[in-house]
Amino acid sequence: MSERDRRTLTGSGSVLRLPSARIAVVIVAIVVVLAIFGSALAPQNPLAINASALFQGPSPHHLLGTDYLGRDVLSRLMAGTRLSVLTAFEAVGIGLVLGGPLGIATVFLGKWFDFGANRVADALMTLPYIFFAVAVTAALGNGLVQAMFAVGILLAPGFFRVTRAATLEYARAQYVEAAELLGASKLHVIRVHVVRKVLPNLAVMTATATAGALLAVSFLTFLGIGVQPPAPTWGGVLSSDLDYLNLSPWAPFIPGVLIAITVGALNTLADAFRDRTGPGTLTVADPVIKTHSTLTLEAADGRQPAA
Amino acid sequence: MAVAELTSAAGSIAPRRRRAWAAVSRIGGGLAILIPILLLSSLITYSLGALSNSNPAATILGQDAATPAAVAKLDKALGLDKPLLVQYWDWLTQAVQGHLGTSYFTQIPVSQSIAQRLPVDLSIAILAVILAVLTGGTAGTVAAIRRGGWVDRAVTLVCSAVSTLPAFVVGIILVVLFAVVWRVLPANGYVGPSGGIVPWLQHIILPSLALSLQVSADIARQLRTSLVSVLEQDYIVGARVRGLPYRRILVRHALRNASGPALTILGNDFPIMLAGAVAAEAVFSLPGLGQLLLESAQTRDIPVVQGVLLVVSTFVIVINLVVNTTLNLLYRSSDGVSA
Repeated sequence: MSERDRRTLTGSGSVLRLPSARIAVVIVAIVVVLAIFGSALAPQNPLAINASALFQGPSPHHLLGTDYLGRDVLSRLMAGTRLSVLTAFEAVGIGLVLGGPLGIATVFLGKWFDFGANRVADALMTLPYIFFAVAVTAALGNGLVQAMFAVGILLAPGFFRVTRAATLEYARAQYVEAAELLGASKLHVIRVHVVRKVLPNLAVMTATATAGALLAVSFLTFLGIGVQPPAPTWGGVLSSDLDYLNLSPWAPFIPGVLIAITVGALNTLADAFRDRTGPGTLTVADPVIKTHSTLTLEAADGRQPAA
Repeated sequence: MAVAELTSAAGSIAPRRRRAWAAVSRIGGGLAILIPILLLSSLITYSLGALSNSNPAATILGQDAATPAAVAKLDKALGLDKPLLVQYWDWLTQAVQGHLGTSYFTQIPVSQSIAQRLPVDLSIAILAVILAVLTGGTAGTVAAIRRGGWVDRAVTLVCSAVSTLPAFVVGIILVVLFAVVWRVLPANGYVGPSGGIVPWLQHIILPSLALSLQVSADIARQLRTSLVSVLEQDYIVGARVRGLPYRRILVRHALRNASGPALTILGNDFPIMLAGAVAAEAVFSLPGLGQLLLESAQTRDIPVVQGVLLVVSTFVIVINLVVNTTLNLLYRSSDGVSA
């Protein structure tokens, strides 16, 4: 293990020194465990209908109450976690794989390639997630995998921008120049001097993107995209609660709070990573059209009028 | 910058003319970027139809009538037998003139359906912008003036709480509180402004409020940060020493210079607002573009899907560009031609 690797490790340790980050890590860990073992751990069958126990409030038997068919809400939420988390990872993975390497490569592939790639990123960034995801289900078939594929494509420009900006910064550093003068190949420079430096910025973007993707899944399932009715999902629980507000007005708060806490934990993690990488490392170079809120704060900071 | 202002104020007419040129060239530059982006995003939008493995002609004809000959004939009538780029170009030239084709199923022109739905989303979005500017602006300003006080801390706390809440969850909370528990506002439905201003507002206030919260939190945070740093500048101190009333200093000197980043946020958050409008439509059952998109996606009514996506992305591009160009002109033209 090199000196630098060790420093990165102690660095991620310092992220955990923040209490908010520690709570966030615990929440994310719980959600991941639920995603893997959720259906097995669920106290009751999430699909079992019980006509004698409709719209029950929380009780020892049903910790989070029952829904309009008497199904156990806790079990439905636990069993529904896997689909949400998996498809969120799908989207983030697509975004990372498409955007990250391209963001590094574009710096080394010349001006025209860079110009073209940036315009494509601009164009993709003008398409709102949900609209595009729903439109893609019209083309590729009504499925959550297809919809989140679309979300992944739209996450790619964010990864692209962040890696490109960071790469631009590091590729112009004097030690890179020195390495090139010493005869290092481009691949060596990218591997040793760029990729490792870009990783913290990618971590921030990944956490933010996962939060966005989870939100997108929850909302798409809320809209009823790609899931057949009895199958439990976070958004699905929320949307069926909405139909019976007069009978149990407080029911939607349970899935709502679950979604909000998970998304909030991921955003907190992103903030913790960002604080550690320090301000200024995550700036957007050449922001012709900026559309995503994760980038706007940095971009806006960069252009504060000098008075 | 203070120096730059002095020099430009002392300058003759020539720099002013040059500045006008700079403005024109910046707007021109903006348009030069706008057109390729519009072309690209419309190409992506159009390609969705080609990507679909559905066979529109067969869908329209129905299972019984879809003989190969009939399908080929309808394909020709719909122009689906031409190469993709030719189809795209035909579609785009028609779209520029306001013709987005007709729905496969209802035969209603797509532009007509969109024109019917768009006012719903625009009402929500515009009211949300107004609410966000009012609440976010006020909260940010008060927090900056009373920096370190309890108001400041409360604003910071509420902002970080609000920004983790998804708009559709906020919307549901609002429905529960205002429509189910207190029964003061309608839970769903839409009444156009022609049905009376008050009913119209009653139907759009909750969705707008849900939509505005996150943006107003963003605005409050950004405005607070920049206002705090502006209020520490020498020229503010100078203005106070000269005895100008505080309110005037705040509005004319500080807010004017500090509002740039917050306005940028507002411009950049517009796509989020539009996406949020779909959420609001779903929660409050409003007949907007999002519902149109959902319905047509389910029936694979590709022309409608393409039309909605084109209109939405064009709105986003144009509004972003207008905001960014305006801000560039406002904040850079004052430091002369160099910018």
